[in-house]
Amino acid sequence: MRLRHIQTGWMMTAKELLRSRIAFILFFIIPTLFYAVIFLVTTQSPISFKLGSISEETFLTVRQRSEALIFIGLAAVGILTSFLALNLTQKHAAENRRLVLCGFQTSEILLSKYSVLLSVIVCIGGYVGAMLPLFFAPRRFLLVLFGFMMGGYVYGCYGMLVGAIFKRELEGILFIVLLANFDVGWLQNPIYYAQAQNKAIIRHLPGFFPSQLSMVSAFTDHSVLQPLLGSLAYGTLLLLSAMLIFWWKMRIRK
Amino acid sequence: MNDENVLEVLNVAKSFGRQTVLRDVTFSMRSREIVGITGENGAGKSTLLKIIVGWLSPDLGQVMKKDAMGYCPQDLCVFETLTVEENFAYFAAAYGLGRKNHSGGWTEREEFLLKRFRFEQYQKKLVSRLSGGTKQKLNFSLAVLHSPSLLVLDEPYSGFDWETYVHFWEYAGELRSQGTGILIVSHFVYDRSNFDVIFELRGGILRCA
Repeated sequence: MRLRHIQTGWMMTAKELLRSRIAFILFFIIPTLFYAVIFLVTTQSPISFKLGSISEETFLTVRQRSEALIFIGLAAVGILTSFLALNLTQKHAAENRRLVLCGFQTSEILLSKYSVLLSVIVCIGGYVGAMLPLFFAPRRFLLVLFGFMMGGYVYGCYGMLVGAIFKRELEGILFIVLLANFDVGWLQNPIYYAQAQNKAIIRHLPGFFPSQLSMVSAFTDHSVLQPLLGSLAYGTLLLLSAMLIFWWKMRIRK
Repeated sequence: MNDENVLEVLNVAKSFGRQTVLRDVTFSMRSREIVGITGENGAGKSTLLKIIVGWLSPDLGQVMKKDAMGYCPQDLCVFETLTVEENFAYFAAAYGLGRKNHSGGWTEREEFLLKRFRFEQYQKKLVSRLSGGTKQKLNFSLAVLHSPSLLVLDEPYSGFDWETYVHFWEYAGELRSQGTGILIVSHFVYDRSNFDVIFELRGGILRCA
């Protein structure tokens, strides 16, 4: 593996992304729109729920709007990062294969894309999280930011996996919307979790650990080690699967 | 492999399900040789070419080729949201050419190709804003950036105007005189005099045309 190849790949991928108008529009519109809707439809009345990663007997009571803002912020990060990751992986499949034929290694192309994705995750997680103090003060703000970034990491890796599996954009988008809608857009809301019949399903979805990390950090002083490790493990498993499929599809006979 | 040979295809066969596309295809080519492979649509030209460059595995047989190979695919295979110059930089890195503006770098080669095919005015332009013919010039230039000893071209002049077509053959002649072996796969072979050997692929069998 050669550093120059990864550097060049990173630079070119980043340039392409920065020239994508739709990425910028989504980057600014989705979080603002999501936060605005929550701000308009929720109230400051208290609401009680329990979190899956802390004791089942512990009920938290917080303002409805604060809880909804954390939930929707994470949904925005998940949707944005998975779309961008899908785009990074799926776009230019033929051109990337030509690069492999010309001397790049598949792992170098993947690493350059992955490093761009990490930069994107930090930017999106940071940007969406940084808007929170406009509405309320989370108890441990930096950890909430980190929770959003972990959400970006897990969903970014999911986007890469979907991009590696499906050739066409439509199928990829469908799979991303489907899971994001169910998971970070619905079932990971602690209010649903508290009343859910089968909590095991919710616990096994990719949004569970990042969501717990963000919620626990925003409203409690409990340890975040378990959701943090869970997020890292989940994301890494998705990433390794994506890399394996990408490598398989890109391989050539020398 | 003989020192003079840049490509040897031995008894290559390929089927997709029950459909046999290539049967016992054997040929070789030397440096300083321009070889054409022609045939009707669906004759298996692209499959043979994909096997030669390594994108497909043959069911039987083997392919031996020189390491320094240049390949120009039929469909445009360039990065549309990068500039012409950035595409050169990306592929130069892939070929392991020296850094831009350093000794042994690829800048001179890039400038030579831009001038040779008369698209130097588009060097800083995004590829997405170029005409189809100019994109095809870039597609071809990227295949010869590293001065390969074997050049494999799939329908290389399909988007060229007459003037570029003439330039292409002049340049192919120069490459041949410098020792490059050139394999051209095309539906149409207009000027037979440009080729040293022409094969026709029909029913999965390769014959001299």
